[in-house]
Amino acid sequence: MQRRQITLEDGRYLIFYTFEEDAAATASPASEEAADDEKASTHDAEPDAESQATEEQQRV
Amino acid sequence: MGEWVATATHRQTRTFLPPADFCPLCPTKPGGFPTEIPEPTYDIVAFENRFPSLQPEPPTPAVEASELYPVRPGIGVCEVLVYTPHHDSTLAAEPVEQIHQLVQVWTDRFRELSAHEFVEYVFIFENKGEAIGVTLHHPHGQIYAYPFIPPRVERELEQSRAHKAATGRCLLCDILASETTDGRRVVAENASFAAYVPFFARYPYEIHISSTRHLQALTDMGDAEQRDLAAILKTVLVAYDKLFNLSFPYMMVLHQRPSDGGDYDYYHFHIEFYPPLRTATKLKYLAGSESGAGMFINDTLAEDKAAELRAHVVPVVWQTTRAGKTPAATTGGKPGEEGGVD
Repeated sequence: MQRRQITLEDGRYLIFYTFEEDAAATASPASEEAADDEKASTHDAEPDAESQATEEQQRV
Repeated sequence: MGEWVATATHRQTRTFLPPADFCPLCPTKPGGFPTEIPEPTYDIVAFENRFPSLQPEPPTPAVEASELYPVRPGIGVCEVLVYTPHHDSTLAAEPVEQIHQLVQVWTDRFRELSAHEFVEYVFIFENKGEAIGVTLHHPHGQIYAYPFIPPRVERELEQSRAHKAATGRCLLCDILASETTDGRRVVAENASFAAYVPFFARYPYEIHISSTRHLQALTDMGDAEQRDLAAILKTVLVAYDKLFNLSFPYMMVLHQRPSDGGDYDYYHFHIEFYPPLRTATKLKYLAGSESGAGMFINDTLAEDKAAELRAHVVPVVWQTTRAGKTPAATTGGKPGEEGGVD
């Protein structure tokens, strides 16, 4: 299970949970790094252009 | 009266039964109506409720406290869990794999929300159907992270503590052993869970799902138990829908240990379903005795309702399996019967 958290314009958080079987095999370097530490968020992505959301990824 | 009531007047303006084209829980399609979820698809999504009754940084109460009327800020968290991007689906209609994913998300949300210092109880639930008063049809559940232990759970804790003190045993373990030995009220079983209409059912088609192992929360479960929980949920939900050949309305609530750091080894994880229907067309109302005195009048026998539901239990079919593992089978009938997987 992977989770990606964004912050909506009004400050609320929203978390996407994904369950692709081969997610680990296709993970980006950032998310591989996240897999090393289940608790801590490991990077801050650039805000999404449309949602102006901030983003962080975790593998749990 | 010893119970807190949340006052959240801003919720009066929340979205109410919008047309499907303007569902706030659907994915945001390119060029389409901007929903709560700013991406074109997703598996499962959790987000803070736009209209929360409890907030991590609550506003100052609108009224002042007095000696007679204590008032405190509405601190807590209210989340929405969207089960699927498919607007017209239901949890019952989703494949068991999706329910397994939901169990994993529930576990993650319970773990994370329990870590808040101000949270004492994490309550996961689903209201389904207009008969229950849902305002959005898109399949979803909710989580309330309370700053106190809510009264119904407190009552269960008290009864569990008292039973433990009197007998040395867990109350739910004893109930589960009684139900599975008797069998008349059992609807379905698998290796890790049993679903039964409780002896003390308040609603005609009330079902409780209890873990076979004495555990207190989702976070105590292993992978096999998470899969078995998904399987028995699928079984119960499908049986409900088949019972009257309609999308069965219900309240589904997860009862877990509190998150206040206390020792609740005497408590036992379970899920309760409260369906409002007593027939295909008649509702069980919470009238004077139920609402005013807290005493339910049930016009049916649990044994009869369990038999009706058991007749609609079908094997759960996993489309995907873990390498080398046989999917969990869930079956109705007497305890110990094996169920096949198509």
